[in-house]
Amino acid sequence: MKRRRFIRDAAGAGLALGAGAASLSVPRPAASTGPDLSHVEAKYYRKLPDREIECLLCPRLCRLGDRERGYCGVRENVGGVYRTLVYGKPCSFNIDPIEKKPFFHFLPGTEALSIATVGCNVNCKFCQNWEISQARPEQVAHRDMSPREVARAAADGRCPSIAYTYTEPTVFIEYVMDTAVAARDKGVRSVVVTGGHINPGPLEDLLEVVDAVKVDLKGFTQEFYTKYVRGELRPVLEAIRTIRRRPVWLEIVYLVIPTLNDSEATVREMARWVRDEAGTATPLHFSRFLPMYLLKNLPPTPVSTLERARTAALDEGLRYVYVGNVPGHPAESTFCPGCGRTVIERSGYRIGGIHMKKGRCEQCGETIPGVWT
Amino acid sequence: MAVSRVVVVRSMRLRGPTGPADPQAVAGALSRGFALLTGAGTDREAVSALFRPTDRVGIKVNTLGGKLLTTGPDVSLPLAAWLEAGGLRGDDLIVWDRTNRELREAGYRLAAGRGSPRVFGTDAPGAGYGPELVAHRSIGSLFSRIQSGLITASISLAVLKDHGLAGVTAGMKNYFGAIHNPNKYHDSRCDPYIADVFDAPLVRSKHRVSILDALVVQYHRGPSFHSQWAEPFGGLIFGLDPVATDSVGRSIIERLRAAKGLPSLAEEGREPSYLATAERIGLGRADPAAIEVVEEALP
Repeated sequence: MKRRRFIRDAAGAGLALGAGAASLSVPRPAASTGPDLSHVEAKYYRKLPDREIECLLCPRLCRLGDRERGYCGVRENVGGVYRTLVYGKPCSFNIDPIEKKPFFHFLPGTEALSIATVGCNVNCKFCQNWEISQARPEQVAHRDMSPREVARAAADGRCPSIAYTYTEPTVFIEYVMDTAVAARDKGVRSVVVTGGHINPGPLEDLLEVVDAVKVDLKGFTQEFYTKYVRGELRPVLEAIRTIRRRPVWLEIVYLVIPTLNDSEATVREMARWVRDEAGTATPLHFSRFLPMYLLKNLPPTPVSTLERARTAALDEGLRYVYVGNVPGHPAESTFCPGCGRTVIERSGYRIGGIHMKKGRCEQCGETIPGVWT
Repeated sequence: MAVSRVVVVRSMRLRGPTGPADPQAVAGALSRGFALLTGAGTDREAVSALFRPTDRVGIKVNTLGGKLLTTGPDVSLPLAAWLEAGGLRGDDLIVWDRTNRELREAGYRLAAGRGSPRVFGTDAPGAGYGPELVAHRSIGSLFSRIQSGLITASISLAVLKDHGLAGVTAGMKNYFGAIHNPNKYHDSRCDPYIADVFDAPLVRSKHRVSILDALVVQYHRGPSFHSQWAEPFGGLIFGLDPVATDSVGRSIIERLRAAKGLPSLAEEGREPSYLATAERIGLGRADPAAIEVVEEALP
């Protein structure tokens, strides 16, 4: 009953909602603007002379005069004080299977209360949520939810985790961190879905309060990042290294885009890097691209391309390599590297069966790394 | 190719030391500026040279700088009055920018429904951004429905100022206020994005004239207002060629910077390279040698 009320209340706010549903909010003007934005002082900036500031959150290091916003569009210099305009202002609010993020080795078969605010610090030409990631906060409907309210909603909705997802949690990091702390008090964990375009200091702070991070490694050359992401590769790789050093679960997604980042040489180079820097136990997901946003001219990724990429990554020594966005594909399931048996059966976001006991393969006893309880 | 004419009309009556411009001085400057620009003998002929009687004309102002550095009602409303006196219908004129809040903070009284002119932001009820993503050259944006649907012709009435990233912000960059995601187009010195936004058919096909509000010119540390680097220039700059108009604006900023002993924009790594890009894609003339500057001082 509580859960139904929680869902109804969220739906009443006019937000995207529904388990397993795509979370898209169509930009539309709010009735008014300024007064409805958050004015919480941002973390991670330094004041400069003449009311200017420098944002230290991400590698862009935006330098902003009074009344200017950063590249993300959701952080503004107001009279020499840097403000986040989206603290406590989620624009998307769903209950999703954790597999949708995707996390395959983190509480499989559970649901994550999934939230986002508007904004992103890159501009991927293949973004599937561009309506909210590339908008400004005035342009998308939101509701007011304090970190405590989000944490309570997750607990009431019997969601063992909160996912900060859909857009880029880096740009609403203050809200993520406060919500994660409030959630911990209620026994709810926090998972972050990020592009990893973040500076080391803020990332270290974030990792203190969250339990898992999925990084979208969008390509493996700076040329790709410049042309299709409008960001930098090096800080993303550094972020992955940093996450790996911390007691936080890490999974990596590589969206395979035909002709742009799908060469076997690039995929192998990337897989070797993941093996050497993040470890062979790090799950790597090869996700299928579908034409959207500014890359509508390319076809969907052929399944055979994804399968070749998976084979190459397995060849390079990675142990848990998945095919994503191809519902029903056998490589959605987790196989025991010891005996080859299926330990987690998946079809789409649905779990068919889990054949592990205490994190070990039921058949051979091989330890399967992950967060299972 | 013929040279592009840009008209600079100056009068110290255009800007008092602390208050708004003298409306009569603005009206006089508009009349004289358009006459020199179009060669028309009367205001009505000048309006006819630029607009059809049935045009719904958007006057895109720039109110991002608040009350201190903005195209305020002291300039835009006399412009609307001049257009109406020249034969356009008052309620076919829309003074607009991104948000109602910014317009209010710049001193405007909103008049979304009826008005002469109507004044409202893209976030006003019934406006908003169009649903279709416009992918054009390097940009992918939703356009304000004011730009895409409500108007048939456009005037860019922009504040001329130094810009920390672009070098100079003027008439072309003013159209960043017509898209939903301008913050995504400030890297690489806004180049090629300023040119590409202007080149989008929804802008280029409707743009008729650029007017730069150079009453007070922020020649350093813009686009925010800093009184120590703000010059009471007392000018309005008119051009049919959007690139040439901005190029003249750039020259004025460079002159003011040099006069104050500041390095050039290029020396500060802020060369407004989007001007050359705009010229390269055929939007107008950036080379000063190809621009005829007509200057006139009014009392």
